[in-house]
Amino acid sequence: MSLVTELILNADSEARYPAPKEIRIFQDFAKTGEQRIRIASILAENEQRIIQNGFAKFWERVPVTPSNSGNPRKTASCQRDMGWYIRLIAYSILAGSEKPLEEIGTVGIKEMYNSLEIPLRNIVECMRCLKAEAVSLMNADDVAEVAPYFDYIIRSLS
Amino acid sequence: MQDAITTLINSSDVQGKYLDNTGLEKLKSYYQSGELRAKAAIALGANASTIITQAVARSLMYTDITAPGGNMYTCRRYAACIRDLDYFLRYATYAMLAGDPSILDERILNGLRETYNSLGVPIGATIRAVQAMKDVTADLLGAEAGKEMGVYFDHITAGLS
Repeated sequence: MSLVTELILNADSEARYPAPKEIRIFQDFAKTGEQRIRIASILAENEQRIIQNGFAKFWERVPVTPSNSGNPRKTASCQRDMGWYIRLIAYSILAGSEKPLEEIGTVGIKEMYNSLEIPLRNIVECMRCLKAEAVSLMNADDVAEVAPYFDYIIRSLS
Repeated sequence: MQDAITTLINSSDVQGKYLDNTGLEKLKSYYQSGELRAKAAIALGANASTIITQAVARSLMYTDITAPGGNMYTCRRYAACIRDLDYFLRYATYAMLAGDPSILDERILNGLRETYNSLGVPIGATIRAVQAMKDVTADLLGAEAGKEMGVYFDHITAGLS
């Protein structure tokens, strides 16, 4: 789901044309297209760097955690999962909505990691480190766009 | 339903990939067409009933279909016909905003042909009316936006035939 689909489904549920406010939101969204593509590209090109540096910081803060237990399989799975979240954030930026992130990655997130016996508070700390690393690559406008999605994941874990 | 953005996201997600350059280029042109789509949606919403009136005048009004024995004879049938044209226009507007025809399939076209056949609604006349709406909206919106709307009217036509 994207901002556009959401807007259309809202209008359709009342059998009406999009309202002036909705059209304005759509126009603002389209006008920021260049920025959205730029942010998504920064995330895509720097995913490895965000993961490497972010995890290094995370392990300093939280040394006792599955990804730092010396089991390379666990480390790889954790880093792979976090890489996926970066990708989902890139999707959400392009869609102008948290829905892709929510539909693919946060509905059921607590239940899943609880079942995997990975402490949620560690994932939260890890996500904070990844966020810090990601925003360090961007200008203030881009940070304002991307940061809320990291916060959204963090909220859905707590 | 899908839109120009979600189709790209979904096809990337099943491969676990970021959008590639082709995808990003498609998105870029969709974003750039946003203003055109927004203005067209405003104009269509503001002129919906006029568009229907003119399209009916061009395609159905002065044919046998509105005379006794025709499928638009009786006000009740006439009203049902313009109600359906109204739906077509609104959903074509949604599809144009989305840059994707899937909402037309989901909300309008699936089963429509069978429904019309069982109700005795003539498909040929319906298609003529849809094509007339395409012409009327092209006159209203101008060439560029008219062409884009035309894609979705043609999608309805194709789905009916």
